[in-house]
Amino acid sequence: MTEISNLSLLTMIIFVMIPVSMSYYFSLGISKSAIWSSFRGVVQLFLIGYVLTLLFSLEDWQGVGLWVTVMLVIASLQAAKRGKGVPFAFTLSFVSLLIIEVFVLSVWIVFDIIPFKSEQVIPMSGMIIGNSMVATGLAFERMKNEFNDGRGKILAALSLGAKPAEASKMIIRKTIRASMIPNVDTLKTIGLVQLPGMMTGLILGGASPIDAIRYQIVVSISIFSCVSICAMIISLVTYRFFFNNDMQLQTLGGGD
Amino acid sequence: MKPIIAAKNVRNERVKNVDFELMEGTLTTVIGPSGSGKSSLLMLLNRLTDPEEGEISYKGRPMSDYPIDELRRKVGMVFQQANLFDGTVEDNLKFGPSLKKDWDSKLGVSLLQKVHLPEDMLTKDVEHLSGGEQQRVALARTLANDPDVLLLDEATSALDMRTVELIEELLDCLVTEEGKTIVMITHDLKQAKRIGTYTLFMNEGSLEEKGNSKELFNNPTSEALMRFLEG
Ligand SMILES: Nc1ncnc2c1ncn2[C@@H]1O[C@H](COP(=O)(O)OP(=O)(O)O)[C@@H](O)[C@H]1O
Ligand SMILES: [Mg+2]
Repeated sequence: MTEISNLSLLTMIIFVMIPVSMSYYFSLGISKSAIWSSFRGVVQLFLIGYVLTLLFSLEDWQGVGLWVTVMLVIASLQAAKRGKGVPFAFTLSFVSLLIIEVFVLSVWIVFDIIPFKSEQVIPMSGMIIGNSMVATGLAFERMKNEFNDGRGKILAALSLGAKPAEASKMIIRKTIRASMIPNVDTLKTIGLVQLPGMMTGLILGGASPIDAIRYQIVVSISIFSCVSICAMIISLVTYRFFFNNDMQLQTLGGGD
Repeated sequence: MKPIIAAKNVRNERVKNVDFELMEGTLTTVIGPSGSGKSSLLMLLNRLTDPEEGEISYKGRPMSDYPIDELRRKVGMVFQQANLFDGTVEDNLKFGPSLKKDWDSKLGVSLLQKVHLPEDMLTKDVEHLSGGEQQRVALARTLANDPDVLLLDEATSALDMRTVELIEELLDCLVTEEGKTIVMITHDLKQAKRIGTYTLFMNEGSLEEKGNSKELFNNPTSEALMRFLEG
């Protein structure tokens, strides 16, 4: 694989300057954050490059254990931000992401889909955890919005004698369904509209397209399943927080 | 006659001075300016909210003695907005009874008849109903539980005059023939004069006047009620 030289990398500044000058001319007010986020992204990626090099030099179980833990914590913090106001949002995100990671990794290893090697497990886990993180955050947001907008319907259900679980059923269904739809759409057009990042990477790295799609199949299908599991766990646990012990609706603090 | 619901010195963050008895088999109207706490009062009666002070009893026992979901089936509520669930009219009507595995599809037809809707509406998606139809489906959905007490929050506000008459007939029949107790919020003073025996007047969160409707309308004692009746 050919290497991108430092000098060539510097030319990326041209690409950064385009949105920045647009922001300036159209007074979009994001030039500072555009420069900052590009800069931060570059530094972050270089650091990760060195960290990964270091991790790959450790024993596989050490490298995987260490980095998966770091990823889980960062992802849970990020997901919990979306769950502001929901009690135990961080713990809840962490536990569900952990369950998913363990589950997926076990299936991959037990069925010999990938070997237990840092080089394989870490990037693949990253994709699973990253997508599950987004799904977890969206599930939190969705639950809060649905309980807000659907307040009247919930009250109606309670007034008809429904217990919280029965009154929340429609909201839980909507939340799980909503988590699946983007993945259903992605799977339908996968490869046609956009080559998934991982496949692109493998092909650039010299893998044959047929080998690349095998990995892509494993990752895409795994993500599909993880995302729905996430939404299910989050919605099945969080609906309870919207009710008190007397089956009355209560508002959660922390705003939207 | 004995009170089926009695509230003693009830207060919470939205209402105060709530003290009244509802006699079994009567219709009581609730009037008052908007924002005066009428809906909040109703929500106390089937424990969608609870008093911070005071006590509400049902059939002589504190409401908290009953399993809350059972109490809510006995004291049914129809909201200001229809709040229908996604799905068909039948999905809505069977919601309450199905919780008890007590749904018979024949019930759907008779419920629709009661609220003067055609029976072929049963399979219709609620999205395709007019506001007035939705409001009547909501009423039928609550009636499906066969409650002893019916709380109605402006339940005829979206109906045309002719349909209002039909629903008032139905309410009258529920009270006189089935012995049900009805509490009905209305912003229509003519309606409050027309139906019911008792009236509660809410003002600024406080239950300001209560009593026999005729007396209350003919001889308002409080300044606030006089002003309210004058419009
Ligand atoms: N969900 C709510 N959260 C906070 N305050 C509310 C809510 N609903 C109503 N209120 C307030 O409680 C008071 C009584 O409202 P409500 O019972 O709806 O009056 P009414 O039914 O007579 O119009 C009003 O001041 C209203 O602003
Ligand atoms: Mg109201």
